[in-house]
Amino acid sequence: MEEFVASTIRVSVPLTLAGVGSLFAVRAGIFHLGIEGLMLAAAFAAVGIAYRTESVILALLGALVVSAILSWVYWWLMERMRADAVIAGLGITGFTVGGTAFFLNVVFDKRGRLDSAVGLPRPIRGPHEGIAAYVSELSILGWLTPALVLGAWFLMRRSQFGLRLTAVGTYSYGARAAGVDEGRTRLWAMLLTSVGAGLGGVELSLGGLSGFSEGMTNGRGFIALAAALFGLLHPIGTAAAAVFFGAAEAVGVVTQVKGFDLVPRPFILTIPFLLTILAVTAGAVVRTRSKDLRAKGIDVGKP
Amino acid sequence: MKQSLRRLAVRAIPVAAAFGLAFALFAGAGFDVGDVAGGIVEGSVTGPGAFANTVRWSIPLVLIGLGIAVSLRAGEFNIGAQGQMLLASLASVWVALKWEAPAYAVILVATALAIAVGACWSAIAGVLKVRLGADEVITTLMLNFVALQIIHWAATGPLRDPGTSGDSASTPRIDPGLRLQESGRMSLEIIGVTCAVIAVVWVLLERSRLGLHIRYTGTSPEAARWQGLPMGRIRIATYIIAGALAGLAGAAETFGPAGRVVTGSTPTLGFSALVVAVVGALGVSGTVAAGVFFGGLQAVILYLPIVSDLPTSGLRIVEGLVAMLITAQLAVVIRRRKRSPSPDEVSQIAPVGGAVESDLPEG
Repeated sequence: MEEFVASTIRVSVPLTLAGVGSLFAVRAGIFHLGIEGLMLAAAFAAVGIAYRTESVILALLGALVVSAILSWVYWWLMERMRADAVIAGLGITGFTVGGTAFFLNVVFDKRGRLDSAVGLPRPIRGPHEGIAAYVSELSILGWLTPALVLGAWFLMRRSQFGLRLTAVGTYSYGARAAGVDEGRTRLWAMLLTSVGAGLGGVELSLGGLSGFSEGMTNGRGFIALAAALFGLLHPIGTAAAAVFFGAAEAVGVVTQVKGFDLVPRPFILTIPFLLTILAVTAGAVVRTRSKDLRAKGIDVGKP
Repeated sequence: MKQSLRRLAVRAIPVAAAFGLAFALFAGAGFDVGDVAGGIVEGSVTGPGAFANTVRWSIPLVLIGLGIAVSLRAGEFNIGAQGQMLLASLASVWVALKWEAPAYAVILVATALAIAVGACWSAIAGVLKVRLGADEVITTLMLNFVALQIIHWAATGPLRDPGTSGDSASTPRIDPGLRLQESGRMSLEIIGVTCAVIAVVWVLLERSRLGLHIRYTGTSPEAARWQGLPMGRIRIATYIIAGALAGLAGAAETFGPAGRVVTGSTPTLGFSALVVAVVGALGVSGTVAAGVFFGGLQAVILYLPIVSDLPTSGLRIVEGLVAMLITAQLAVVIRRRKRSPSPDEVSQIAPVGGAVESDLPEG
C-alpha cells in the first residue's frame, strides 16, 4: 500500500504540472501536441545544466527558458506563418526527440543517458515510518504542485486574463468585439503552458531519478493532455485526472512486483486512454445535443 | 505549367529550409557538412545495399502516407496510423505463428486479417468522429497508445519470444519459409503489391466518383451538404481506407523485412508517413515521391554511422523541422503578406485545423 501511494504520487506530479500547463493552450483553442517535446527538452536542459554547473536553480531556469522558446516557436509558426497546429505540434515533438539525443551526443559525448550529481531538494528525507514514508520521495516541486494548481485555477477562473483566454478559445468573434488581442493572448497561453510542461520535465528528470535518458517522457506529455481533457479542462479536475492516471500506472507497477496479475498490466495501462476517449466522446455528444436543442429554441443554459 | 511549378515550390521550399537549418546546426556543432551530405547520398542511393534499404523503408511510408492523404483530403486528421499498422502487424504475426497451412494460404489470410484489423481500428475513431463528434486527433492519438499496450501485452504474454528478456519484448520471428524477403534484399511481390496499390489509389482519388466526393467533402463541406452527398459515409470510408492501407503496410512488414513485432519498434513510422502525405500535397505522385525521399532518409539512419560521425538522431531533427515548416506559408511571408493566400493555395495545403481556422480575415 505504501508503495502504491508513493508511486502514485511520483507518477502524478509531473503529469499534473504538464496537464495543468497544457490547459492554458487548450483553453485558448490550441491542442498543444508539442507538449511532449517541451517536457523532453526541459528534462534534458535541466540535467545538462545541472551536470555542468551543479546548480539546481540554474537548471530549473534553463529548462523553463528552453521550454518557453520551443513554445514560442510553435506559436510563431501557427500565428505568423499560418502553419497547421497538429502537424507543426507533432513536428516540435519530433524535433526535440531527435534534438535531445543529438545534443546529448554532441555536447556531452554520452549515449542514451546522462546522470546529474544534483537533484531537486527533498524537504522530508526518508526512510520514515507512517505517513512520512509516502512523501519522502517528494521533491520541492511536488510540494509546490497543489499551490501551482490553485494558482492556475485563479488565473483561469478568477482573472481577466482567464476570461479573455476562454473567449479566444471558444468564441473568437466575441473576443474580437471586446477588443482582445487574440494573438497576444494565445502567446501568453503558450508561454504559461511551457512553464507547466517545463516544470513537469524538470520534475521527471531531476525530481525522482536525477538523470536524463533518451525519450524518457515516453508519451507522458500526451497523457498529460489526456488528463486535461478527462479533467474537463478545469485545473482541479485535471489534477484529479492526473492523480487517477498516476494511480493506474502505480497499480500496474505494484501488481507486477507482487506477482498479483488478475488483469495483465498493459490492460490496466490502457484505462487512462480509453477513459479519455470516452470523456471526449461524451463531451462532444453533450455539446451537439445542446446545440440541437438550442436551435429548436429550447433553453439549455448558457453556451 | 507556372501553376504546377508554384505548387512544387510551396512544397520544396520548406523542405529545403528544414535541411538548411539542420545543416547549419550540424556545421555549428562542428561536423563537416560535405561529409554529412555525402553520407546521406551514399546511405540512400549509391552505397552497397543502400538503394534496397531505401525501397524497404519507402514501402511502408508510401502505403501509410497514401492512406493519410485520402483521410486528409476529406478533412479528417487521422494520426493513428502507427497503432493501426502495429496492431495489423501483430495480427498477421499471430496467424503466421499459429496456423499450419501452405505458405500462400497463410500469407493471404494473414494479410487479409491485417487489413481488416487496421481498417477496424481506424474506423473506431471514424465512427466516433462522424456519428458522435469526438475530435479525431485526440481519439486516434489515444488509440495509438492503447494499441501499443496491446502489442506490449502480446509480446510479453501469449506471443512472447522465449529468447528475449526485460522490457524490450518481441514476438518470435515467423517461419523463414513464410518470409517474402531476406534482410537487405528487395521483394518483388511486396514491390508489386505496392505499385498496384499506388495505381488503385490514383484511380480512386483522381478518376472515381468516391474520390471526387472525398475531395468535395474536404474542401467544400457546405457545398457537399447542399449537393446531398452522404458525407458521413464518405468520411468514414476515408478512415477505413487509411486503416486498411496502414494494415497492409503492417502485413508487408511482417512478411517482408521485419518478420516479427518488437515493442517500441519503428516508433516514428506513423509520424513520418503523416509528414510524407503532407509534403506530397495529398496527391498520389507527390506522396510517392515524398515517401521515397523520406524512405531514403530513414535508410541513411542505419548507414550513417559508417560514413560520418554525425549521430543518427541528427536526421530525426531534419524530419521534425520538415514537419514544423511544411505547412508554414513561407512564400506568403517572404512576399511580406501583400495578399492573403488564394483559395487554391489553401486547398493544396492540408486542411488547416486548430485555432487558426476560426480566425476572421485580418482587417
